[in-house]
Amino acid sequence: MKLQWRLAALKNGFQDATAYRLEFLFEILGSALVPAAIQCVLWYALFDLGGATQVAGMTYMDFVHYTLVSLLFTQVRGGDHDFELAEMIRSGQLSNYLLRPVGVVEFVYIRGVAPRLFIAGLCLTIGVILAQFFGFSGTRMIGAMFLALMGNIIHYQIGATLATTAFLWEESYSLLMVKNMVVNLLSGELIPLNLFPSSLQWIWKSTPFYLYVFGPTQYALGRWSHTEFLIQIGISFLWILFGWAIIRLTWGAGMKRYVSLGG
Amino acid sequence: MGLIRYFDVYRIQLKNNFVREAVYRTNFLTAVTVDLIWMGIEISLFSVLYANTQTLAGWTREQVYFFLGIFFASDALFTILFQRNFWSFSDLVNKGELDILLTKPIHPLFLALTRSMNLTAVFNVVLGFVISYRYAGVAGFAGGWHWLEWAAWLIFGLYAALQMRFFSSIWIFWTDRSWALSRLYYQFFAFATKPDTIYPKAIRYLILTALPFAFIGSVPARALLHGLDSREYLGAAFVLLAFTVVNSILWSWGLRRYQSASS
Repeated sequence: MKLQWRLAALKNGFQDATAYRLEFLFEILGSALVPAAIQCVLWYALFDLGGATQVAGMTYMDFVHYTLVSLLFTQVRGGDHDFELAEMIRSGQLSNYLLRPVGVVEFVYIRGVAPRLFIAGLCLTIGVILAQFFGFSGTRMIGAMFLALMGNIIHYQIGATLATTAFLWEESYSLLMVKNMVVNLLSGELIPLNLFPSSLQWIWKSTPFYLYVFGPTQYALGRWSHTEFLIQIGISFLWILFGWAIIRLTWGAGMKRYVSLGG
Repeated sequence: MGLIRYFDVYRIQLKNNFVREAVYRTNFLTAVTVDLIWMGIEISLFSVLYANTQTLAGWTREQVYFFLGIFFASDALFTILFQRNFWSFSDLVNKGELDILLTKPIHPLFLALTRSMNLTAVFNVVLGFVISYRYAGVAGFAGGWHWLEWAAWLIFGLYAALQMRFFSSIWIFWTDRSWALSRLYYQFFAFATKPDTIYPKAIRYLILTALPFAFIGSVPARALLHGLDSREYLGAAFVLLAFTVVNSILWSWGLRRYQSASS
């Protein structure tokens, strides 16, 4: 029974996301190609127009490789299902889910992660094929995708925790937006995080966001050793554990305040 | 006489929107915070890049900040006046809400595009100006009466954004959902956040013609800092005129296709 509803939620989430296939395709293409094009343009401006040969110890090709490989993990990190949770609390739709024998936070995650898992599979296949051509390791690519998927869980856990502010103020949309903006910069999606001046490196190192894109890309490109990778996997587990605890705490407190007025 | 009637309607809409914003004060504060963080992240991105280089495609750090000031102000002006109306644009057609606008003794497009305003972004226009003002001198902006030119270019950017956003939304008359195109618009909008001269020729040509995102901030900044040649002025005028004509035709065709709530 426990596995059954999870599989059903996964199937339902996938069908829901792909009901409008053209939109699904547009979303993937838009969210992949445009940021990649902009990154490449920045490298073009730094190296071709600016005449630099190395920036932060990286060559032009290092930056291009970073952009192309990070693209695979950028597609896995996202998901806006924390917004769905916030909306359920705000509108009172949460009541419908409380009557069901499923954990609402987990249910929304499983439904939301379904299309991401599909994309992850697709990206991994592309990554492993490309690895053969560009001399990267396919095994590293698999490990990196695993780390990216752990990042996906952490991202949702943080979102689900922030969504509980809707129990207090009805609205948590802005807070989730702020989180996404910060993640944009500190996950390594826009630029490699080693471009940060050394005096500011502590900023991204003190959040788990680098585990979403920067970490997996570093490992896939062979810039992290296996030991470093295992340490980062351990850190991810700790973040997930922390996320699990904080969700229990905030949702427990939030449910005591919940007044179902909508739904 | 006609213009006075439009002015009166606009005044009443402004008043209604102001009352609504005054009721949701927390929303006002959180929206301002979100925008501030977005600006902070855009500035941080360039700060990190400039920590590694002196110039980017000929733009100094101060010139880029001056450009960002114009871009933030222009975008905020669009947010104040039009953004919410475009989010609900698909409802006009899908839910048949256009019916009521068509029965009013005023142009339906005027009502469709001006009903809702987002007054929270007023603060961002001011902040955009402050950023431009702060870096104007070092960036090489002449100042003095040229600040009137700054305001004129802001309106130019606003008009360009309006035409492009309208072009991305009008297809709702022919498609079931406009969500994907809107999302694509915002993906491409990222091209507006960087000076156009950093882009390779093909992309630069695209954002100065078919997708003129460079008109929002980059072209105005270049015009104010270095001036444009006559070919660029003519090109910009032609592109905006073409968008205006095409959008007018599409609106007329769309209206002919409109079948109330079932369309």
